[in-house]
Amino acid sequence: MISASYFDGKTSRLYHVQLHVDNGMAQVSGDISREISIAELRVSERTLYAARRVTFPDGAYLESSDHVGFNDMLATTGFEDSLVVRLQHSWRAVVAFALLIVAFLILSYMFVLPWAAKVIARNLPASVETTIGMGALDFLDKNVFTPSKLSPEKQDSIRTRFDQLHSIQDGGPPVELVFRSSKAGANAYAFPSRQIVVTDQIVTLLDNDEELMAVLTHESGHIVEHHFTRRLIQSSTIAVGATMLFGDVSSVIAGIPTLLLDLKYSRDAERDADAYAISVLKNNGIPVENLALVFTKLKQQAKGNDPVPYLSTHPLTEERLEQIRKAE
Amino acid sequence: MTSLENQLEQDAPQKFSFTGTGSEYFGIWIVNILLSLVTLGIYSAWAKVRRNRYFYSNTYVAHSSFDYHGNPIAILKGRVIAIVLFTLYNLAIRSSFRFVGIMLLAMAIIMPWLIWKSLQFRLYNTSYRGIRFGFRGSASQAYMKFLLLPVLTLFTVYLLAPFTHQRIKKFQHSESRFGASYFSFNGKVGEFYIAYLIGIGALIAGLVAISIVFGSGLMVFFAHSRDVKPDPSIVAGFFKFIFALYIWIFAIFPLFLTLIQNLIWNNTELAGHRFQSNLKWGKMTFIVVTNILGVICTLGLFAPFAHIRYLKYRVESMTLIPDGSIDNFVAASEEQISATGDGVADVFDFDLSL
Repeated sequence: MISASYFDGKTSRLYHVQLHVDNGMAQVSGDISREISIAELRVSERTLYAARRVTFPDGAYLESSDHVGFNDMLATTGFEDSLVVRLQHSWRAVVAFALLIVAFLILSYMFVLPWAAKVIARNLPASVETTIGMGALDFLDKNVFTPSKLSPEKQDSIRTRFDQLHSIQDGGPPVELVFRSSKAGANAYAFPSRQIVVTDQIVTLLDNDEELMAVLTHESGHIVEHHFTRRLIQSSTIAVGATMLFGDVSSVIAGIPTLLLDLKYSRDAERDADAYAISVLKNNGIPVENLALVFTKLKQQAKGNDPVPYLSTHPLTEERLEQIRKAE
Repeated sequence: MTSLENQLEQDAPQKFSFTGTGSEYFGIWIVNILLSLVTLGIYSAWAKVRRNRYFYSNTYVAHSSFDYHGNPIAILKGRVIAIVLFTLYNLAIRSSFRFVGIMLLAMAIIMPWLIWKSLQFRLYNTSYRGIRFGFRGSASQAYMKFLLLPVLTLFTVYLLAPFTHQRIKKFQHSESRFGASYFSFNGKVGEFYIAYLIGIGALIAGLVAISIVFGSGLMVFFAHSRDVKPDPSIVAGFFKFIFALYIWIFAIFPLFLTLIQNLIWNNTELAGHRFQSNLKWGKMTFIVVTNILGVICTLGLFAPFAHIRYLKYRVESMTLIPDGSIDNFVAASEEQISATGDGVADVFDFDLSL
């Protein structure tokens, strides 16, 4: 016999009652009397402190905070908690599951997601990447870039030299060079629409054809490897995953992993592009050290120290130089 | 008990209490995540029902608890639609900047309907003492409050924001019902303006104070920004400034939340019964800031504990001030509500509760 509060489902009145189970029949007595077969009743899941509910077929229910008495009574009816409830309250299961989840997340992040993104990006119709790239270039043209001031002859000579490198090894259409002047300083940008934006500033900074070719092969590495699309897929997946895991605590917190975890993918992409550039330069008999010289010059231009590796979108310059030295 | 004592007992303020614990919720959270991963996300709808049931059934007032009745299949349908919308939206905004306008317009048209549906679903699936809550507001009112007013607010450089906020809360609260009885909301526009002014005033005062204390460091940093190798102490001064700024913004958010929750619930009534919300800014800030630090330091494992702490404080700051017995509410006639809106609001992270 346990004490409980009974509600009839039609009004908010609280009836003080006693619940008694005998021979498969539940008997309610007190402010209201009812008798019903326990087969028709539904019992809420066990928790540590929330009142236990017993719901009748007509929507009436009773709740009891006498957890010990209630569990004893349930035990006599042969009732068993569902598997999920037992797992939730077993610390062994919870710790094991937590470890499984962590292992799963790490494996997904390190291997499964990059692999899946690669497969998807390679099999995407070219028109998708073209649309994405054109849109991005339009936007930058309006906000960051101005028309190039390089002479058409200079532009043509760079194009000719670049085309001679036969750099496109993935069988796709040729990579197009686009010349712009940039407010953001010396750089070259790869777009998934198979375009590379060459800024006047980087042409001036490098002032040397072989170094410029080193940069351009690095950028075509990004294009051939579909880095932009792969990272788009990867970062969207992480964003959705983080929102599902932590979104109900704080959307600010949910945003942190997206930012931090994406950095590794960014550095991996730079390393891949370096490797691609090294192989193309070697095939064309251009000394690989040109790539190293570019990094040194870009580093000098950036004036500062290298940031902490795990907080950086590009690998450390020292590390990249090491990769190049090994290639020589 | 004599009838006089009964009367006194009935009129005594009833504090809300929350009995959920972080450690128990941790188990529920982990099992939910694992099963959701194993079933490729399908279980997440059932996970949501388990989570809400846990939260609701641990929330007590006047000796009885709340219950959640959401149907997992309906939630699953809502989530599928949410994911489709989310994917379309992301593809559109990243693929071409021409689509952004069209997509934003489409979202603006869909969102008020989804918010409206999700309000209906959430309230309809909440019960207390066996009586379901519900929401009456019409779609046209929802478009008025969740589309027209926010757009007007944009055009007035947010000067209308407190007004819009008041209208939205008035809509939500006075169209909500418990059984057949409607809530009412008396929060005045002026009070919302005062809350916003206090929040913004505190934000600005803090920024000024931070600029005075750390500003010299910032000036030095900019003066030396062209140096090839800046002095580490100068860089440190700059980071101190940024850090103080962040902390202050995190501290102001709970202040705003505190002011608004108190304002809203202190002005809400249900058939003569009143509510009181007594959140304190200091405690709220402490909880929010330590929660964020805790989640970051444990790489996310503290999240369920953080959630419970936050919820417990917000729930337990509430009091019901009865006007006589609360035994006399009657259930309304039932109607079925599609869950589409509920699922979408979840992915887009809209907080429509409390």
